[in-house]
Amino acid sequence: MARKEIKSEVAGTVWLVETEVGAKVAEDDTLIVLESMKMEIPVDAPQAGIVVEILVAKDDPIEEGQAVAIIETI
Amino acid sequence: MSWESAIEELRRREGLARRMGEQVKVDRHHNAGKLDVRQRIDALLDKGSFHETGSISGKAEYDEDGNLVDLRASNFIMGRGKINDRVVVVAGDDFTVRGGAADASIREKPIFAEQMANEYRLPIVRLIDGTGGGGSVKSLEMDGRTYIPANPGWEWVVRNLSTVPVVGLALGSVAGLGAARAVTSHYSLMVKGLSQMFVAGPVVVARVSGPITKEELGGSEIHTRNGAIDDEVTSEAEAFERTARFLSYLPSSVHELPPRGPVTDDVNRREESLISAVPVNKRKVYKMRKIINSVVDEDSFFEIGRQHGKSAITGFARLDGWPVAILANDPYIYGGSWTADASHKVTRFIDLANTFHLPVVHLVDNPGFLIGLESEKAGTIRHGAHALAALYQADVPWCTVIVRKAFGVAGAGNSNHSKLFFRYAWPSADTGSLPIAGGLEAAYKSDLEASDDPDALLADIEERLTRVCSPFRTAEAFRIEEIIDPRDTRPLLCEFANLAAPLRKPGPATAPYRP
Repeated sequence: MARKEIKSEVAGTVWLVETEVGAKVAEDDTLIVLESMKMEIPVDAPQAGIVVEILVAKDDPIEEGQAVAIIETI
Repeated sequence: MSWESAIEELRRREGLARRMGEQVKVDRHHNAGKLDVRQRIDALLDKGSFHETGSISGKAEYDEDGNLVDLRASNFIMGRGKINDRVVVVAGDDFTVRGGAADASIREKPIFAEQMANEYRLPIVRLIDGTGGGGSVKSLEMDGRTYIPANPGWEWVVRNLSTVPVVGLALGSVAGLGAARAVTSHYSLMVKGLSQMFVAGPVVVARVSGPITKEELGGSEIHTRNGAIDDEVTSEAEAFERTARFLSYLPSSVHELPPRGPVTDDVNRREESLISAVPVNKRKVYKMRKIINSVVDEDSFFEIGRQHGKSAITGFARLDGWPVAILANDPYIYGGSWTADASHKVTRFIDLANTFHLPVVHLVDNPGFLIGLESEKAGTIRHGAHALAALYQADVPWCTVIVRKAFGVAGAGNSNHSKLFFRYAWPSADTGSLPIAGGLEAAYKSDLEASDDPDALLADIEERLTRVCSPFRTAEAFRIEEIIDPRDTRPLLCEFANLAAPLRKPGPATAPYRP
């Protein structure tokens, strides 16, 4: 069990928040979808865990490397 | 009478030198979870294949009668050995003697190693665990003078980049000259948590900008993301495995051709999943690495620089056993756009392929250079120009597959248009100067301003243009040479690799390699 910040690898705008606090996620599950370069770019869970915080909301501008959610790894 | 006693003396000296630093320092090194330099050499090379040069060089102590009392080895161990039965030069720093500092290494030894690699046309692997080149400022008192710095053997270090494969393994705290030796290579690795690299270490930095740990200042997390080091691994054993694998795709020098590997996979294998690998919805991304792995020989893809310039994917692979260089875009990162750092990565990679005569397979999904203020600040066009120059300077067989987008100046970097190359387009190909989505408002500005219902007009124009953008229309004009079923990609790439093999030309490359 460890808290892990999930960071966006690209700058963009939050288009969809596809998870919620308390949700159990598997590796590669999409947490947030950003719009960047006119594309829908998912930010996926790097490993299984429970979502403990969502740090962004729809339409928020996101910088490269910015944390978008925190999961507690299982 | 014979020379037996001299040989006994030789063996005694060899034994003394093999002890490395004082026992307490060797123990401290092991306790830090690190292999010593001799263990590293043994782990890297085929069993029993190491032949050391300069095995009794070091600092000797004699008694009043001139009898040898002790011999402490120099901290630079080098020689020849084999990796997978091919001869290489190996050169390792011994951290247990003077912290691997180059001033305790005997100046001529590293130069000899580099020159041996160059003149005998052998790959060189540097096991770097040193604290720099100049020693400490204490040497001012010892020498009674200072000097203008020069990097010893740098003429060979640089010449080797255009002659033989060079691997730099940073295996401890690597500073100054050691850092430059790691980076002045074709492939470099750091071991996560075990190695750090910096221009100057924390003690020096603390005087300028406050306290900082080794890992914070120069851990692998920093240097594999900024591209100074190609990849990170989790153990020294993995570093040696990756070194062997990297070298397996390359010839021993530019004077030879990359060796064909085992033929293990059916050239006519058609991967069914490829027909739906690219989403029909153009806004959706997909996993390019899955496509790469489906078309190359099974388990043959060796990615290089995964953490840096991430919108570009670079690595070696095999097609019907023939080693090739794979260049691709990752749509997950800015839709695959070439950023400044991706352009830098592409430049080095094309230079690497060109230096060692590897045919290139380019899987293209490039919406162009990354746009926006940050991209302009990063000087993307300067780095992009480097990449395009590398492409046009290269002289290796080239095969392009347009997987999806190829737009603008960066998209034009799909191939050198002035040469005959093979180019295939998947039905998902979407190409031109500017994507419709990006250029619509600008191109039809006055029409849209004059319209009562600009949204409806915009949708109407978009639909009209989308129809014109069909790759079939482009192929009618032979601006796309061939549209293929994605499932036929592997057979066609294997055919390319077999046609390209006899065209590869040994010898110095058309452009020098710069690290």
